[in-house]
Amino acid sequence: MTGYKGFTQEWMDAWKEKIAGSKEYKEIAKDWEGSVSITVNADPSKNVPEPVYMFTDYWHGDVRDFFICDAAKAQEAKFIMTGDYARWKQVAKKELDATKALMQGKLKLRGDLTYIVRNVKTINKVIDLLTEVNTIFPDEG
Amino acid sequence: MGYDQDLSFVYFGPTKIIFGSGSSTSEVESEMSALKCSRAIVVTDQGIIKAGLLDKITKSLGEKCVGVFSDVPQDSGMDVVDRAAAFAKEKGADIVISIGGGSVIDTAKCMCILLTEGGSLADFEGIQLLTRPQTPHIVIPTTAGTGSEVTWAAVIYDKSKGQKILIVESYNAPRVAILDPTLTAKLPPLLTASTGMDAFCHAVEAISSMQREPIADALGMHAIRLLNKYLPQCVKNGSDLTARGQVQLAATMAGWSFGNAMIGIVHAMAHSIGAVAHVPHGIANGILLPHCMEFNLPDAANYYAEIAQAMGVCEKGSTTKQAAEAAVKGVFDLTKKIGHPQKLSEFGVTEENIIKAADMSMSDGSIVNNPRYVADSGEVLEIYKKAL
Ligand SMILES: [Fe+2]
Repeated sequence: MTGYKGFTQEWMDAWKEKIAGSKEYKEIAKDWEGSVSITVNADPSKNVPEPVYMFTDYWHGDVRDFFICDAAKAQEAKFIMTGDYARWKQVAKKELDATKALMQGKLKLRGDLTYIVRNVKTINKVIDLLTEVNTIFPDEG
Repeated sequence: MGYDQDLSFVYFGPTKIIFGSGSSTSEVESEMSALKCSRAIVVTDQGIIKAGLLDKITKSLGEKCVGVFSDVPQDSGMDVVDRAAAFAKEKGADIVISIGGGSVIDTAKCMCILLTEGGSLADFEGIQLLTRPQTPHIVIPTTAGTGSEVTWAAVIYDKSKGQKILIVESYNAPRVAILDPTLTAKLPPLLTASTGMDAFCHAVEAISSMQREPIADALGMHAIRLLNKYLPQCVKNGSDLTARGQVQLAATMAGWSFGNAMIGIVHAMAHSIGAVAHVPHGIANGILLPHCMEFNLPDAANYYAEIAQAMGVCEKGSTTKQAAEAAVKGVFDLTKKIGHPQKLSEFGVTEENIIKAADMSMSDGSIVNNPRYVADSGEVLEIYKKAL
């Protein structure tokens, strides 16, 4: 199995492919509209010298833009998620449930929370598919 | 009641509890001083003023009460929060004291954010965005059910969007809740019964949630014991302050329980039928709970068997399944004993309403934590039909 360096464009492409190829996702996310940005805070001790900003966009079961962006673009997303590298790593490794992490303040989310609550299954599916990507983490590679 | 080896959780419940008859007047000023605050803005509604609950408390605060904001409506909105926060700022308030039910408490929670951070509430829509403690908040609840006095979420209506917004912030949990049973003594029997069943429901759903954990279980289980014993007494004799106090404590414990372990299908269905047909939250929960427990039996028998024990309805030598069934019957019996409505149709709910609500329930976040996987809206509709 090919490994992808975590939090890079190649890694995002692999993730996007997983989502686009999932019939289950298409069904669960049929009502979802809008973009989510993910900010990974810098952690030089873990080989993440600068923050990483990712922009992801979804529309009624389809996946649209999926790219590494800058801080300003990340702010434009309908939902803005932020967290430390160590937390995102736990999420990507399925060691930490993303919704639990939000409740516990390990991740932050700006945006219409009632929409998120109504679409928790979509979020969970997107994360599930991420955990299927063979990731080489910056502090492990 | 076993837990997996990989059990991992965070329990959060930082609110200090002061309990006792008369505590709302005898303790509020010293609690304020303990928080190093000297200028309180009191937030309440017209109903509380008319019931004569406000005066004694503001009197006990004396000059430390720098203003009263009493224009909080039933479903408070962002415009109300903005006005209340501006009023508090103008008065130089350094603490918010809320006296009332859910809407008043949530308004006060949101005010605390604006007093600390400035800006508009719309900037804080989301979860865990704050990075420091907010303006102190003392809650003096006048109902017993929502658990809002110890939870860190607030729901406020956004007129511009025509929908409710949700703000969840650990840094904004109330610092102190003063539970004074005398304040709930005048709640009418139906409101007592339905708000009590809301609390009961929080406990049952937390105990059987996918996010269940031992601390939330302990609090939920004792809440069930107290509600089972004292809720009927409260309904029968509202001025029984012993019973009122125990029900208040149970609601608070259930608040901690579900605030950490979350809720399930009952709340998903209550939220939906509330949105579609305006059935009050507590009433919808009370009617739906035993029917949902019946649905959950195949996957929640272990937890319900423990609930049967807490309710004292578990016969000696019964199997887990029998005990769980006894819990379901016990809840049906409890609702009848307290004169709680039994059917949604009593509140004008129609076949058409439940079809729409069943669909909505599938996309309510609470359903994700339900112990039994809900495959489709058809399953939800079957439960609604039984409760119609
Ligand atoms: Fe509730």
